[in-house]
Amino acid sequence: MNRKEAVEIICKQIQNEIIVSANGFISRDLFSTLEKDSNFYMIGSMGLASSIGLGVALKKPKKRIFVFDGDGNILMNLGSLVTIGSLQPKNLVHIIFDNSIHESTGGQPTNSNHIDISEIAKVSNFKVYSIKTKKSLEQILQKIKKPKSPILIKIQISKNNIKSPRVKIIPEKIKSRFISAIDCS
Amino acid sequence: MFSYLEKNGIDNFVGVPDSTLKNFIKEGLLKKKILITTREDEAIGIATGMTLCKSNSLIFMQNAGFANSLSTITSLIQLYKIPVIFLIGWRGFLQNDAPEHIKIGRIQPNLLKDIELENRIVSEKTWKKNCKWALSKIKNNSTVVLIIKRETVE
Repeated sequence: MNRKEAVEIICKQIQNEIIVSANGFISRDLFSTLEKDSNFYMIGSMGLASSIGLGVALKKPKKRIFVFDGDGNILMNLGSLVTIGSLQPKNLVHIIFDNSIHESTGGQPTNSNHIDISEIAKVSNFKVYSIKTKKSLEQILQKIKKPKSPILIKIQISKNNIKSPRVKIIPEKIKSRFISAIDCS
Repeated sequence: MFSYLEKNGIDNFVGVPDSTLKNFIKEGLLKKKILITTREDEAIGIATGMTLCKSNSLIFMQNAGFANSLSTITSLIQLYKIPVIFLIGWRGFLQNDAPEHIKIGRIQPNLLKDIELENRIVSEKTWKKNCKWALSKIKNNSTVVLIIKRETVE
């Protein structure tokens, strides 16, 4: 499964829930799959999608917050797993699309294939699901309706040959519509 | 100063400890209102998420951490216009501070100017006035910096 296919499966299941998506191709895939006001496209500040998602999750405990992250992104902010794991927000679902490369910058390796991000998340007290197939992704998304801890879903994805278009909304607009959407959703 | 900010609309205090700010942080920890993060940019990310939920945030750090945060300030805080207050401890203000603080202490005023962040120095005499200023600034969607000088060397 490639990232776009994984994003499509997730979006089909979670519909209108809140998503904070990491910079690069991840936000672009989300933008072209399920464009909506409650998507926060983080177009800069690489590494911080999980932190922004944590901030939202702590302030909106009754809503589920999805973070769309990459292996390169989380490796830049591994401390985030420690902070989330200590605070234990039950409404945070951290999804990592792992292709072991920095695809947005030309496919350079990230080293995520030499270590196991899932194990780091496990010892940081996440409930972890490591996924390789479309079918298991669909099943897990059904299963996580009432979590007892933050969830991390690591999806192994293949390199994608199709590039989704850039996010065409200006950052201030991404912010203002996200604020309104999560306030009344 | 902690109580004043808390009473006047700051809900979240997120950051990395600094000895210059230890009394401020101690008061917040006693009230269970402090969130300590692993890095300064992580704190900025969390505070951004909270601000998106209309919950006002202050981010505290040493100036070494401010240097760590420059890219996050330009590509998150300023790009999306996220109104937050930074509270920065000014190490290297004194010439005889520890060697690792000297350079960042010297270039800090120019860094703040170049990154275009309005800032005020907080002292015994000016803290209340400058906290009021910072609170009114974030109400108007601006990001500002409050600075505490390190005036003793331990």
